[in-house]
Amino acid sequence: MTGIRLDAVTKRFGDAVVVRELTVALQQGELVALLGPSGCGKTTTLRMIAGFEYPTHGSIYLGDRNITTAAPEQRNCGMVFQNYALFPHLTVEQNVAFGLEMRRIPRAETRRRVGEILERMGLAALKHRYPRQISGGQQQRTALARALVTNPGALLLDEPLANLDAALREEMRFYIRSLQQEFRITTLYVTHDQSEALVLADRIAVLMNGVLQQFGTPLDVYHHPQTAAVASFTGLTNLLPACIERRSGDQYLLATRAGPLLAGGPPGLAAGAEVLLSLRPENLQLHPSAVVTDGSGCNRLSGVVRERTFAGSFVDYRVEVAGDVLLRVQAATGVSCQAGETVFVAISPPAAWVVPRGSV
Amino acid sequence: MRPALGRHLLIVPLLTVLSVFFVVPYANMVAISLMEASHRAAYVPVFTISNYTSLIESGFTWGVIWHTLWLGALTTAICLLISYPVAWQMARANSRTRAALMILVIAPLLVGVLIRTYGWMILLQDSGIINQLLRAMGFAPLHLMYNDTGVVIGLTHVFIPFMVLPIASTIQSIDPELELAARNLGAGPWRSFRRVVLPLSLPGVMAGTVLVFVLAVSSYVIPQLLGGFTVLTVPVLVIHTISELFNWPGGSAFAVLFFVITALVIWFYLRTIGRVTHAG
Repeated sequence: MTGIRLDAVTKRFGDAVVVRELTVALQQGELVALLGPSGCGKTTTLRMIAGFEYPTHGSIYLGDRNITTAAPEQRNCGMVFQNYALFPHLTVEQNVAFGLEMRRIPRAETRRRVGEILERMGLAALKHRYPRQISGGQQQRTALARALVTNPGALLLDEPLANLDAALREEMRFYIRSLQQEFRITTLYVTHDQSEALVLADRIAVLMNGVLQQFGTPLDVYHHPQTAAVASFTGLTNLLPACIERRSGDQYLLATRAGPLLAGGPPGLAAGAEVLLSLRPENLQLHPSAVVTDGSGCNRLSGVVRERTFAGSFVDYRVEVAGDVLLRVQAATGVSCQAGETVFVAISPPAAWVVPRGSV
Repeated sequence: MRPALGRHLLIVPLLTVLSVFFVVPYANMVAISLMEASHRAAYVPVFTISNYTSLIESGFTWGVIWHTLWLGALTTAICLLISYPVAWQMARANSRTRAALMILVIAPLLVGVLIRTYGWMILLQDSGIINQLLRAMGFAPLHLMYNDTGVVIGLTHVFIPFMVLPIASTIQSIDPELELAARNLGAGPWRSFRRVVLPLSLPGVMAGTVLVFVLAVSSYVIPQLLGGFTVLTVPVLVIHTISELFNWPGGSAFAVLFFVITALVIWFYLRTIGRVTHAG
């Protein structure tokens, strides 16, 4: 059963196409992160689902109901705004009760449901405070409580953690995830933070310039990006120009300036195609040249360490291969290579992924 | 200490102007109101409270006071009804529309009060433009001048900017996302306005209504010209007492009494609205 479905949704503002032919379906109870850089159309998409904007073309469904042109108050989508949009003249309790009052729920039931959710969110002690009198994290939880108390058909979150400090942001990720699981509510989570999307989401929809680049599980999006743009937006990566020699099994044999390499990739790429090879820095191993490895199944590039930076849990190297290509390698602190040292960079083929050459 | 002292010095010029042109004349007026009236001089320096007792004992005085407050309240209410939608538009419009609306709203202030009032007289008098049009269309003429109608029209017109500007600036400071949040929670446009925008704009409404009320009950030129002698307001009567009857103490006492009453009315008003706001 689908929770939210967008069918070929296009949004134009004047001549600018902000969202182009977007088709996405969220399963009931699924948390999907809509990931993209600022201005990619993700907030516009959310606002179209909430009813604050209307699509130029296409349709939006909530469950089986076509809500494309419904008024916002008739959609039953709970929304958490980036700045929370709590009513400053109402207390925490009154804020949370607002949606129930608008639905003309009897007073006793409203009181009970508000009390329950305030308790669940750890806000019971703050219910008589005004939003300006509570912390950012508490405002966040109030906004979540206000959106969830009406049992909406879907939950829409617009960069909900953007205004929190780093430590709280980390904590709230898990909080939101467990809340979403508890309520089993279909959730669309808009963010520009790839790590948030990877941690939280069942599936990630990567949106760039209003076009859906990829829609898949975090593992899929991270390890098997379909475009160079997705590869570089979902995390650090090295993009190496390469040319496909031939397909060998489920891998490709590639010609690069640094020598032949084996890598995974989407099926259907023809021999001779110019592509990019995406190499995640943490999937590359660094070996001092003196150490001889058996090399079975391993691609090896010879290079020189140009820079070495200690980064706590790992060491960040910049290794020059093939004369002018700089590779970033993030290796465990156990391995130690010095700047100027000649080294081998070992790439296991599943860790290397071919993406079509296109606009990055 | 030093910077604080420096900051305090900044208000000295205003304080000086206020004391010389406001506090001293008012103190003088209060003093005069407690002196005996005379036909030979402005007043006789003999202390008396008879100016006040005769005012308070006179039903006529209270009638005029009541009528003045009523005209002020009516003007304020009409101003509010006309201004709120304009203020809302202004606050939510783009900058170009906002500038255009601002010019339109402020326009009445660009013309001096006398000229503007004579303009209204041309429009409103029995043989004026409006009545000529009505007659041409076969309707009976309306008495729009030398009565309360004329005074309220004139007052409303000139005081609209004092209502629009504070309300617009308050509405502008309300995050538009709050309205969206209310809609998202199931409130239609009207309820989202009534439950969110209206209560949050009350400080602006309070400022605007107090300003317009105070200006309306203390205005002289408009009631005088558009009301003729059929509309008696406190300022008209005070000036009449002083400049026609040469009764300086009597006029002063009337002005002081009215000042106290107006202050009380506003105090009650603010207290009531304040309660409503806190309760909501």
